[in-house]
Amino acid sequence: MAIEKTDVVIVGVGAAGGILAAELGKAGMKVIGLERGPRLKTSDFEPHDELRYFQRQDLRPDPKRMPVTWRPNAKATAHPIPSQNNGNQAGGGTVHYGAVSWRFHEDDFRVRSQTIERYGADAIPEGSSIIDWPLSYAELEPYYERAEYELGVSGKAGNLKGKKVDGGNVFEASRQRDYPLPPLLNDQVGANFEPAARNLGLHPFPTPHAILSQRYKDRPGCTYCGFCQAFGCHVGAKSSILVTKLPEADATGNFKLITGAMCYRVNSDNSGKVTGVSYYGPDRSDNTIEADIVILAPFIYDNVRLLLLSKTEKFPDGLANSSGHVGRHIMAHIGARAFAAFDDRHVNVYMGPSAQKNSLDDYNADNFDHKDLGFIRGAQISAGPAGLEGGPLGTAMSMNPPPGVPRWGAAYRDFFAKYYTRHTALTGQTENLPYADQAIDLDPNVRDAWGLPAPRMTYDWRRPNEKARVEFIQKKMVEIGRAMGAAQVWTAPFGPGAPGAHHQGGTRMGSEPHESVVNKYSQSWDVPNLFIMGSSTHPTMSGFNPTLTIQALAYMTAEAIVNRYRKNPGALI
Amino acid sequence: MSKHDEGRRAFLVALGAGAAATTALVPDALAKSNHQHQADAPAMDHAGMAGMSARHGAFFNDEDSRTIAAFTERLMPGAPGKPGATDADVLNYIDLALAGPYADEQYFYRCGVAQLDAHCTQSYGKPFRNLTSAQQDETIAALEQGKAPAFVWPTAQAFFNTVHKHTMEGLFADPIYGGNKDFAGWRLVGFPGAQPEFTPEDMQSREAFTREPIIGLQVRAKSVKG
Repeated sequence: MAIEKTDVVIVGVGAAGGILAAELGKAGMKVIGLERGPRLKTSDFEPHDELRYFQRQDLRPDPKRMPVTWRPNAKATAHPIPSQNNGNQAGGGTVHYGAVSWRFHEDDFRVRSQTIERYGADAIPEGSSIIDWPLSYAELEPYYERAEYELGVSGKAGNLKGKKVDGGNVFEASRQRDYPLPPLLNDQVGANFEPAARNLGLHPFPTPHAILSQRYKDRPGCTYCGFCQAFGCHVGAKSSILVTKLPEADATGNFKLITGAMCYRVNSDNSGKVTGVSYYGPDRSDNTIEADIVILAPFIYDNVRLLLLSKTEKFPDGLANSSGHVGRHIMAHIGARAFAAFDDRHVNVYMGPSAQKNSLDDYNADNFDHKDLGFIRGAQISAGPAGLEGGPLGTAMSMNPPPGVPRWGAAYRDFFAKYYTRHTALTGQTENLPYADQAIDLDPNVRDAWGLPAPRMTYDWRRPNEKARVEFIQKKMVEIGRAMGAAQVWTAPFGPGAPGAHHQGGTRMGSEPHESVVNKYSQSWDVPNLFIMGSSTHPTMSGFNPTLTIQALAYMTAEAIVNRYRKNPGALI
Repeated sequence: MSKHDEGRRAFLVALGAGAAATTALVPDALAKSNHQHQADAPAMDHAGMAGMSARHGAFFNDEDSRTIAAFTERLMPGAPGKPGATDADVLNYIDLALAGPYADEQYFYRCGVAQLDAHCTQSYGKPFRNLTSAQQDETIAALEQGKAPAFVWPTAQAFFNTVHKHTMEGLFADPIYGGNKDFAGWRLVGFPGAQPEFTPEDMQSREAFTREPIIGLQVRAKSVKG
């Protein structure tokens, strides 16, 4: 058993962990990062191989070795989900993600208060466990800006210092600075979507992406190859943590990355502090790192699992869980989809950055009046490939044919042969609410390749509020598809309640220790030298993708550790 | 996982030297002689012929290979100017996959094919591979709808869904994996393959992309003309 000592150990070096590694290293702290996967290079991503990366998910956890199980309710038996959203290598999910990079809206940080102020307390759906975030947009804004400029995000401002800017997202919260890079080039998806949406009185705009539209910080601009979501970028234009923060961390001389390391326990002592972590090496060796600060930054499954696995006599319900909220209030985006197929033009949806190419924010957050609609909160609507990746295999697996066309045989062949290059999908990414019974715990029946119990999700999105929202959004998407001049517009059926994308919650942040796991610095209320990072801390999820918010929070935590915690270790609040 | 993947790749590349991954490099003369050889085979219906002409040998026996070749061809049938599963050598893709990365699905296929033949023998007095195309379509529809009582495990729908998924993979995955022969799947739908870049003009065009030939991971086609 090897024992190493360091100032800080970070478990999981992805969207949040990579930022903390670089920033704490720059401040002179000795940092060890543990990563269960490999550290890949840009040259590893040369193969534009849909089978390997989209279908077989080579950059994501192998569900056979690292199962995550799901059941719709506590009476059902859980089974492994077929694919996971998160990454499995240094850089985490930012290596393969679609790089959609939003700032949340002002009201995304105060869903409970906003809803009560505008619609009354009765508008909060029964059983929903929404709380306000313990910080405001204004407080996080400098860190959003820092993430956009340090990592490299391309987009067009829609609200610059309170002034609305046509062509950007006019619903976005006020920003002090425009994006560091202009938006990515429009393609035929945008050329069809934007005029149609404008004709309907809506406000379309190019989706902001952490993908370089031109050369920036010695990295080249995007080649528009289209092998984007699910793939690593073959030129390094995607602003993944792998090509942005990890080189910065290396340059400090204070950072050591250990790959192939599966962390299985956070160690603690009787004083109520954590002392480090234990992990299995690739050779199955059992190793320990002793550290003054432990930062957990894997995906939400392992944040929850590690806390539950690290229970002691002092922490009988799991580490950092005196509130009993560890593993609760899980959320996931559901992708409501419609398809628009054209007879008179090609769209060539396989070209260009593939995830959520162009967006609408008119029906997101509380940007529209929900009075008498039967639901609260909304969805971000976007246009792009059905599978967020436009190759023919991804499209065949993701696009259900229109009514009257079977899934196979000559009629399907002719449909797909004609419309593969002549269609676009519309996706509504819905802000599903947290409910206390949506949870992650330890599966009593399924274990991973290391013998650890699998994280088990109990989740069913089909709540009255959520179903009403999805129906509303689907109608809007069909209207947009028709306005685009499509020969056919149809919708996709829904799955059986399973969680969709961007799983969040499980260690939520809050203002009160009794109803949350961490404070706004992602610091455990119970254990002051333990920080729990990532989207598991989100109390509500927004209709927007979470990564830029994860990154802004990581910058904020890094600053608080360097400027305050280091001088005076203890609770930051 | 990466180690496993490298092993899989090495395996496929090694196989490809003699079989699938280099199909586009097979000289026309050799391809013609293969067809000539098949013409000498005993006469049988089209689906059976498809089974004989498709390469296999890594996993399936001859009978089962005919079954899978016929099944996948009915899922994505070929027609003049419209390459189908046989043209794309989907059988070869599935055969190699079951011998390698999908080895844990071998038993699933064994049981599935046995149940399929039991169902067809009950319904038509013959195994699937010897049915007419119309009977095969009727059978596949019954599986898709879960109306094939001979199936226990895998269920009829699970078997249908798996073969359907693997057929799409064999049609549309890069030829390095043994299917999508001569870019048959990509030619069917108009996909130009692993292009390294698209220009602003490409993205502003409302026409099909023809600026470059189809590009695969290992070989470049002479032309995108299908």
